[in-house]
Amino acid sequence: MLELAKLSGKGKAIILAVDRDPHILELEAHFLHQAGYSVGFEKDGNGALEQARKVMPDIIITEILVPTMDGLALCRQLKADPRTRDIAILVFSILAAGDRAREAGADAFLLKPLAEHKLVGTVQQLLEARSARIEKRTHKENAR
Amino acid sequence: MIDAARRSAGPASNTADSPIKRLTTGKRELDEILGGGIPENSINVIMGAPGSGKTTLAEEFVFANANDVKRPVLYLTTLSEPLDKVIRYLQQSGFFDLSKMGGAVQYEALGSELSANGIGALLPRLKSAIKTMSPKIIVIDSFKAIHDLAKSTQEMRLMLHEVAGLFAAYSTTVFLVGEYRHEDIATYPEFAVADGIIELARNASGARDERYLRVFKLRGSSYRQGFHAFEITKNGLQVYPRLVSPVEAASYKRDDNRTPSGVPGLDAMLKGGLWTGSATLLAGPTGAGKTTMGIQFILEGLRRGERCMLVNFQENPTQLGHQMDLIGGALDDDARQRLELLYYSSVELSIDKIVVSIFNALRRSSIRRVVIDALGDLAGAASDSARMHDYLYALVQHFAVMGVSSLLTLETDPPVLASAETHGRLSHMTDNIIFLEIREKEKVVGRTLRIAKARGIAHDLQSRELLIDDRGLRVVETRR
Repeated sequence: MLELAKLSGKGKAIILAVDRDPHILELEAHFLHQAGYSVGFEKDGNGALEQARKVMPDIIITEILVPTMDGLALCRQLKADPRTRDIAILVFSILAAGDRAREAGADAFLLKPLAEHKLVGTVQQLLEARSARIEKRTHKENAR
Repeated sequence: MIDAARRSAGPASNTADSPIKRLTTGKRELDEILGGGIPENSINVIMGAPGSGKTTLAEEFVFANANDVKRPVLYLTTLSEPLDKVIRYLQQSGFFDLSKMGGAVQYEALGSELSANGIGALLPRLKSAIKTMSPKIIVIDSFKAIHDLAKSTQEMRLMLHEVAGLFAAYSTTVFLVGEYRHEDIATYPEFAVADGIIELARNASGARDERYLRVFKLRGSSYRQGFHAFEITKNGLQVYPRLVSPVEAASYKRDDNRTPSGVPGLDAMLKGGLWTGSATLLAGPTGAGKTTMGIQFILEGLRRGERCMLVNFQENPTQLGHQMDLIGGALDDDARQRLELLYYSSVELSIDKIVVSIFNALRRSSIRRVVIDALGDLAGAASDSARMHDYLYALVQHFAVMGVSSLLTLETDPPVLASAETHGRLSHMTDNIIFLEIREKEKVVGRTLRIAKARGIAHDLQSRELLIDDRGLRVVETRR
């Protein structure tokens, strides 16, 4: 997590990966690093919420089945808080629960196992959509 | 965004209701057995004795799916055979494609690393391969050989736990190939993590070997159970899926039409002919006229513009064609094109191949009549009679569903299918039974025909005299 805090503000998009499976975290980190992103990890929902508030990542990629607070609850909490609602959330789960993820406010859903082109492609789309959304809002606020 | 992501990920990936995506084995017949192919992202064990065809099956699968250099197929050899030897023999196969080697197909040897560093070398090697190559398929041949390097069962279990976790995390389909025996299934941990288990077996049957493929397990998928015969050919495994009865069998509707037999006088005994789609057992001793009657049945169909198939185990197509010309006159080109002559040597072939070939020929074209001459020869190709009866039953059911009228000849003297049980079963599976007999009366030998059974027909019960001349058989003194 220290790595994320250090890298924030250095121009690279920051991604927080939340999963209980060390193989998933290792592969996510590898492919997202390779694609040019900074990646940090959390293994449970509460830790992820705390880090999200502290580091303000651009994207959170979370499994639904994580300890202390599940990925959907994490999603709801982040989307309900004005400070963290702009963090794009990708639910990446072994559960085929795309509809439930959408209801919880997730911006995208992917079913496991990990296929790097899908993961990286979705992350890129989320970042573009997030930038456009923030830009639009800033433009609106400036116009006032 | 969710919808966009779902679309980009493909419909099969993101919903529980969607069918599992499958990878072809390279052979339509094997894909059928597997319910459509190998489920993507599964871990599969291919087991069997040395020489059973495991590596050939795995390699065929490799080349059938190697079409993307960005997501290659990775074939890892371990301690069983040197990589060069594997590749040398691979090049003899019809499915080998040199242009894919080093690109969409990557062969690597793990033997030295495993020998030097023990089984702990496998996990980092696989992680590295995933990170640098993004393999969509990984084959480890032989995985069983890795057991020999483990210092303890515990070490092997822990390693396999990690490897299975890695395979579950990443989008790749895995094949663990090994010379496993049946008793290994209960004790080797790879069988517990495997989603699919395919066994290849070889049994001696008389002078020939019979090879069988069996699917033990295929999580999340239906599959065709039982032993499926196969041959190893230059083009890989030629599989003959076990013929099973059609699902429609219980509710099929018999065609209301009659099928004329082509034997003058017989149709009158049957009040118009055999029901279309019915199966007829034609039994009798040598020389009674079974083959001749079979040929007349086929010629009648050809005269009526139907497609017909004659399956024979003793006379090759040239000999048969000559016989047909003698009885029916030379066939014109149109009739020849509608006639399918299948000749099999029952000495060399398995019943699986014969029956499945008949069935495939039926599926290919709209055949209306089939003659199988003779069931005794078919029995000679079967290693056990139960298998032959199961196959015949299924075949006859398919004939009925497809509206194909069939005539199955049976030698009764000497009785090739001797037991009362056998005759009973043949009787049950056929709709009609016609006996041809040779009788001697006052030093004159004559032939007779008797209809023992004709389902749904108030048939003539009398034994009738049969005459044979150069136009074939005909029934005399038939009452109308």
